[in-house]
Amino acid sequence: MKNIQKRITTIIFFITLLILPLITLFSKKEDFSSLENRQLQKRPEFSLDDWFDKSFMKDFENYVSDHFIGRPKWIEAKIGTELATGKHEVNGIYITEERLIEKIPDPEYDVMDRSVDAINQLSASVNTPVFVMLAPTSAGIYSELIPKNAPQLDQHAIIEYVYSGLASGVSSIDVYDILNASKEDYIYYRTDHHWTSLGAYMAYSAAISKLGFTSIPYSKYDVEHASGEFLGTYYSKTLYNKIDPDTIDIYSIKDGSNVTSCTVNNGLEETVYDSIYFRDFLGTKDKYSIYLGTNQPYLNIKTNLQSDKKILIFKDSYANCFIPFLTQHYSEITVLDMRYINNFREYANPEDYTHILFLYNATTFSSDENIRKIAY
Amino acid sequence: MVFSSLTFLYFFLPVVLIVYMAASKKLKNLILLIAGLIFYAWGEPVYIWVMIASSLVDYAAGLYMSKSDKQSSRRLALVISMVVDLGFLFVFKYSGFVVNVINTCFKTSITEPDLPLPIGISFYTFQSMSYTIDIYLKKVKVQKNFINYLTYVSLFPQLVAGPIVRYDEVAEEIDDRKINADNVGEGAGLFIKGLAKKVLLANNIGMLWTQIKAMDYSELSVLSAWLGILAFTFQIYFDFSGYSDMARGLGKIFGFNFPVNFDHPYQSKSISEFWRRWHITLGSWFRTYVYIPLGGNRNGKAKTYRNLAIVWLLTGFWHGASFNFILWGAFYGILIIIERLGFSKVLEKLPAAVSTAYTFFMVVLGWVLFDVDSMTDVIHYLKAMFAGNVLCDSLALYQLGSYAVMFILCIFASTDCWSKITEKISAKKPLQGVYSISVPVVQLLLLLLSTCYLVDATYNPFLYFRF
Repeated sequence: MKNIQKRITTIIFFITLLILPLITLFSKKEDFSSLENRQLQKRPEFSLDDWFDKSFMKDFENYVSDHFIGRPKWIEAKIGTELATGKHEVNGIYITEERLIEKIPDPEYDVMDRSVDAINQLSASVNTPVFVMLAPTSAGIYSELIPKNAPQLDQHAIIEYVYSGLASGVSSIDVYDILNASKEDYIYYRTDHHWTSLGAYMAYSAAISKLGFTSIPYSKYDVEHASGEFLGTYYSKTLYNKIDPDTIDIYSIKDGSNVTSCTVNNGLEETVYDSIYFRDFLGTKDKYSIYLGTNQPYLNIKTNLQSDKKILIFKDSYANCFIPFLTQHYSEITVLDMRYINNFREYANPEDYTHILFLYNATTFSSDENIRKIAY
Repeated sequence: MVFSSLTFLYFFLPVVLIVYMAASKKLKNLILLIAGLIFYAWGEPVYIWVMIASSLVDYAAGLYMSKSDKQSSRRLALVISMVVDLGFLFVFKYSGFVVNVINTCFKTSITEPDLPLPIGISFYTFQSMSYTIDIYLKKVKVQKNFINYLTYVSLFPQLVAGPIVRYDEVAEEIDDRKINADNVGEGAGLFIKGLAKKVLLANNIGMLWTQIKAMDYSELSVLSAWLGILAFTFQIYFDFSGYSDMARGLGKIFGFNFPVNFDHPYQSKSISEFWRRWHITLGSWFRTYVYIPLGGNRNGKAKTYRNLAIVWLLTGFWHGASFNFILWGAFYGILIIIERLGFSKVLEKLPAAVSTAYTFFMVVLGWVLFDVDSMTDVIHYLKAMFAGNVLCDSLALYQLGSYAVMFILCIFASTDCWSKITEKISAKKPLQGVYSISVPVVQLLLLLLSTCYLVDATYNPFLYFRF
């Protein structure tokens, strides 16, 4: 009997060790993984230099693992096992029944202080009024869903910390309370780190009066479900597939103003589009980029609104689905992403604008070392 | 290359197995040699010459000693080969440490040689030395074929992390071995068991230790400190014994019988017993080539204790060039001398649960010395374990909740419960059939699950995460 068992073991072992490499060898090799959002390793060419500095070995191992047959399925099976053994955390994401929530890193107070100083300096040097708006992420609003005893940070306190450091000439815009009060609504994606258009609308309705306008009521908007199959960055980090995919919505207003041009400068060249929605992205994994496209250094939106109100926005990607709501109030919106810019004055003169707005989510603001460059 | 990688498991190993099984008996050693050299060069493309050079010296010394009858020239050959072997080991492993100590003691500023530690040098040096010493003592027959000798030294299953196979243990199999189906099946099973220990248990429980080790020890709760070092206790056991199982399993597939290296050490009832069950081949090497040549326990008590002290300091130092390891070796030396002085009789009389608990407790303390980076950190860590500021905080509870199942699995897998249960089952006639079917099924599941973890280890989503 024991011998039969050993024979079966032998057969199973050899078959597994032969079949998996053979299927891998003959399967079609992709160059790019949309799931992981990166180029996959190409088959390395052997050379003695690469052999002696071990880069050949490294590339070869990456090649084998990048193209290993059924790669996502193996990872999904692993995550299922992890959860079954009582872990709730995968790649820095908490897995809860409703949604995926990010484990927020500790805020870097010196980074925040330097950003706040830079904003204060900018405000002191220009006549245009400056506004700062920090949005919580879903981890801040849905903290009660985070697994029991797991480490978590109070995002409200981080936002308050930043606001308390702003000079008197800089106005803060509080959106935490209204978002927290709307937490039963679909204001954050379940599988992505962004807020939804509805979340952005809630923040807009609180912010716009501070900027001196009356907010446009929700009932005036037509909501189009552009896609119901959005699986965002949190999904990519975990490959956990038991959370419903997200919906991407586009808000439009029939008798409102229209965007006449959207100029994008990617740092090398300028391209002019006639819409702020880039629907091509609906066909990719990165569906959130329907809003203003992917992050770019400079973006300029012109509308047919008869008004002299212009706004200059420094931002992260949370602004991308927020800005469409501003097109009903400004004739021109300039959007700068300091992560790709060293001297923003090459792109815009702050004195030309009615308002300057800093719009970031609390986690970006607490770690981004590029915001300080506005004071250079 | 490491066994627990997709490249080894699903590329290197299948190719080597096919070529090896297809080759004629005469070519099998050459194939193993080429495989061993590629395997070694994969991780150590430059310093592979060190291994080849010391093998060449030992091979030549062996040849010379077998031909010469003059005791003095035989001794000279042995000394030369040992100087070369230990010289390489010293230069690569200990020179930085020694220079550092000299600089600190004498306030000199000699530049520290910045040499990498060639993979497996501590293992293959000891293996190769076992050959020359035994030739000198006329305990083994000379190996006349250099290919066969280098095959022994570079045998990839146990090249980088043991077991330390003495030449006499495989001398016959190097020259002539049989591959039979039963051994291949047993070897495959052993390999899968080792892979699962390493990938599923050691790597996972090790993540907890990585987290806790990186924390500020003054803020550590008592519970976290204990969870951390217990996690390391299981990590190092499953990592090391898993690797040994994989090595023995591969050995069996290729027709070798390597010695057992671990025998459920955590259920030992004394420290002496622990070291008869932990890294058995290292202990046996030191006993054979250091303790006994020094006189062992035959020259009175004082010399016995001196010999024990030497062996344990060397054992500690073998693990690495730092004071931590020397202290760790000394710690065991003292515990074993205490047992020799009569404490072992006390342990024998105590209930098994108490003596096992005592041994396990000491071993866990030993791991603090072993793995916490500096002596100041060791003191801070011990303080957190025994006099932490809080007994338990929410982070500790979260860690406990996340790893409770893992800990239970580790405790279960580190005792011999499992083999006792299976023995009982397979002894009963009606259950035998079920058993012989279910074992391969479990093995297949473990192999596939380990593959999941190996694939995930390289899962590397590149996201504009903060954007």
